[in-house]
Amino acid sequence: MTRLRIAGGMVYDPANGVDGEVRDVCIEDGRVVASLPDDAPRLDARGLVVMPGGIDIHAHVAASSVNAARRILPEEHVRDPERAPALEGGGGRSGTGGTVPTTFTTGYRYAGLGYTTVFDAAVAPAAARDTHAQFDDTPIVDGGCYILMGNDAYLLRQLAAGERERARDYAAWLLGATGGYAIKVVNPGGVELWKRNVREVRSIDDAVEVPGVTPRAILETLADAADALRLPHPVHIHCNNLGVPGNVATTLASMQAVDGRRAHFTHLQFHSYAGERGKAWSSAARQVIEHVNAHPGLTADVGQVMFGPATTLTADGAVEYLLHASTGRKWVNIDVELETGCGIVPYEYREKAAVSALQWVIGLELFLLSSDPWRVVLSTDHPNGGSFASYPELIRLLMDRAYRDERLKGVNQKMLAGSALADGIAREYTLNEIAIITRAGPARQLGLTRKGHLGPGADADVTIYTPNADRAVMFSTPRHVLKGGVPVVEEGQLRRAPSGRRLHVRPAFDEGVTRDLRRWFDQYGTISFDNYPVAPLRDPAVGEGA
Amino acid sequence: MSARAGIVEHVTCLGCGCACDDITIVARDGRIAEARNACALGAAWFGDGSVPDEVRVHGASASLDAALDAAAALLAGARRALVHLATDVSCETQRAALGIADILRGAADGPTTATAAGGVLAAQRRGRAGATLGEIRNRADLIVFWGVDPARRYPRFPSRYAPEPPGVFVSGARAVAGVDVGDAVAPDGVEPRLRLDPGEELDALAALRAALAGRAIAAGARALAERVAPLAERLRAARYAAVVYDGESASGGGGGGDTRRAEGLIALVQELNAHTRAALCALRAGGNRSGAEAVMTWQTGFPIAVEFSRGAPRYRPDEGAAAWLARGDVDALLVVGDPAALASLPGADAPRVCIGPRASTARPEAVVAIDTGVAGIHDGGMAFRMDDIPLPLRPSLPGPRDALGVVTALAERVRRAAAGRPA
Repeated sequence: MTRLRIAGGMVYDPANGVDGEVRDVCIEDGRVVASLPDDAPRLDARGLVVMPGGIDIHAHVAASSVNAARRILPEEHVRDPERAPALEGGGGRSGTGGTVPTTFTTGYRYAGLGYTTVFDAAVAPAAARDTHAQFDDTPIVDGGCYILMGNDAYLLRQLAAGERERARDYAAWLLGATGGYAIKVVNPGGVELWKRNVREVRSIDDAVEVPGVTPRAILETLADAADALRLPHPVHIHCNNLGVPGNVATTLASMQAVDGRRAHFTHLQFHSYAGERGKAWSSAARQVIEHVNAHPGLTADVGQVMFGPATTLTADGAVEYLLHASTGRKWVNIDVELETGCGIVPYEYREKAAVSALQWVIGLELFLLSSDPWRVVLSTDHPNGGSFASYPELIRLLMDRAYRDERLKGVNQKMLAGSALADGIAREYTLNEIAIITRAGPARQLGLTRKGHLGPGADADVTIYTPNADRAVMFSTPRHVLKGGVPVVEEGQLRRAPSGRRLHVRPAFDEGVTRDLRRWFDQYGTISFDNYPVAPLRDPAVGEGA
Repeated sequence: MSARAGIVEHVTCLGCGCACDDITIVARDGRIAEARNACALGAAWFGDGSVPDEVRVHGASASLDAALDAAAALLAGARRALVHLATDVSCETQRAALGIADILRGAADGPTTATAAGGVLAAQRRGRAGATLGEIRNRADLIVFWGVDPARRYPRFPSRYAPEPPGVFVSGARAVAGVDVGDAVAPDGVEPRLRLDPGEELDALAALRAALAGRAIAAGARALAERVAPLAERLRAARYAAVVYDGESASGGGGGGDTRRAEGLIALVQELNAHTRAALCALRAGGNRSGAEAVMTWQTGFPIAVEFSRGAPRYRPDEGAAAWLARGDVDALLVVGDPAALASLPGADAPRVCIGPRASTARPEAVVAIDTGVAGIHDGGMAFRMDDIPLPLRPSLPGPRDALGVVTALAERVRRAAAGRPA
């Protein structure tokens, strides 16, 4: 039995209403417990800040697309070699970083920031096996993945036939077969259209294949499926028209389309633009966030843009073609059979570039105008808006108005007229709110009852920071990190790298769908139906056991 | 699997990069009697499934334990160890083997460097517009075989992927076109057909791009432009075109010419996507070599030719296993996989540990040889198709000890040995 009393720290545990109180956190066998005997080992946390481990609700870290990106970025990897950490007992692994780090380095660097859970937000079902293999080589963090369904040919067929129940059964089967955690929709219908050389979705009522198959129908069907299947996380939506000026109309229409259902809208920043193609862009952050504020069934992550290098990498192939055409940067497109797409373009957000500056401002506006930190949480859509390594800097921007205003002065002002941030926003996030948008909020949105808090029964994922007025310094160098009770970071040094667990679901469904699916695979598949599901995962499905 | 007769369905074949997963293996008396659905190349890859089952140290039979001790001692004592991820092992085994190179601060490479580096390097410069094989099957209405007849080295490509099978989004027969580049010819009977001398290929690719982009042609290139015009027209008229070429250079050695050619093809298909939709398909050989690239990429950031002497991965794409061996840089070689391909390389007589299918048959004989099963025949796990689609491997015969278990045990011993030496 391993026990530890984290003694006397300032505890931020918003899920349990604890806001900076000095108290002990007791850990036994990987879980938080209510108390421990007085002679249990102690970690002196007096003067330190104690929070649950960070949870990244939306990143790209372990997918076939991520590996395709790594493959074309040798120049980044050459510049950022990472030697193996000196782990207790040896066995640390080297790697390379850049915006798309290697697997071991990804696990170490997340843990080094106090993050202990990460979700890969876009996995092509046919390549799910690849995701699990990459997660197996990503130490420390618990990992899960969202399964791309919004352009799936079989699913669209069911919609065309009016078979929404079968579509739901298919979604359930697919989650179990792939070891996925949630249903992901990327540019609903738009990726299928891109494969047909139709490069624009004008509205969510555009027909995709036949009348009745529209982005709206896809959103409704999959939002309903997530609710009916009682999935811990609602449908995770990347709207149509990402990155396009004027896309606020599509974004709001998509939110209205799923009204009355649970839904998560991801990297909202990329979907909050006013203006028109070929003309000036401007911020529509206020319109979008006011809609979210007024609709308690909606949750979102921001997808903040951070200045510096990034790699744009998405299932939304059409967007990446446009970015390639406008920047001339190298470009990968991979159309994934009957399921989805993939596009990759390296990119750089520059303070002096008008669009980059606007995107940076819009992201901050979404954060600062959000009325509910539980529902609008932190992400950079790593590595799309910037690397997860920039989270501490983002936290500083949110917590420190003077610093933020100073940075704002240095960016291109061309498209900022009338934006709320340019007009001045006084709000500064508190430590408690940071704990919500990086821990408690994502856990609640994900339905992870054992994560994001420090009450009895919680996983003993704990991060301990040394307070520092420079919040970027504070959040980039945790003093201690525990993962499942194992001290992975001690006195700022990575010392242990246990394997993470896999977070996945296995919803029940009507087996009848598999008969039809087998026919579909026999007719059009290039993978045998029997070979499609991934090998059973070591960890039990969420909700199915310890 | 000890039954005298057995049938295993949905077996994945690693005979080439097509990785057909519809093979039914019929086994009798511990041998493969039949590999249903397999092509001739696949049937030869499966064979009768018999492989040697020996553990040898310095040419004499030894216990596995003694062999692992000897292997760990040889590798941990090396100044520069090279781990070669050879063919016919699973991704799980490749992952463990690459860890040995990292811990030893040695080097690692796979089969791609010798035969297909051109495509890798070209994609690192430009990216690529591609698709998985099933997307081509279900969507492409024009297939262009560029200097390749898949029947030779990828026999079931036409029947499983394109042009033959029905596709969800393809109505009626697909159009097919061919380009002959010297004696690298498209399939018999394919018309229209563009015939090029090898020296004309890069210019033809440039001329096609210019035609698609509507760019003016220099006076000297007009004749070539006229010859490529019909193909340009077909490409532009397609709804979804697939350009299929052989990513494995027939001669091996993959020099700069292969890179320029791959880059020309990539650029052509990327340009084509400004007008219609298109994918470039590089045919790749089997044995899970694509898995070696994928694993190297996610663990080191580089798909080929990595060395760890400074404690972190460094990329040496213009060198690689053959160059390091020829230079005498390698004082211990660990081959994980089938050792056959390395035997002919100069310098490959460096003291060797061979772990994998037929390890004991390596010549010159390895210091330590541990025979294992073949991934996909005796061993399970995961392998990558040529398009990076991951597939499961289904063992159909009992075999010698599994490669993953042996490599994992060796990695643990190497880790313990390395922990005791100065960094």
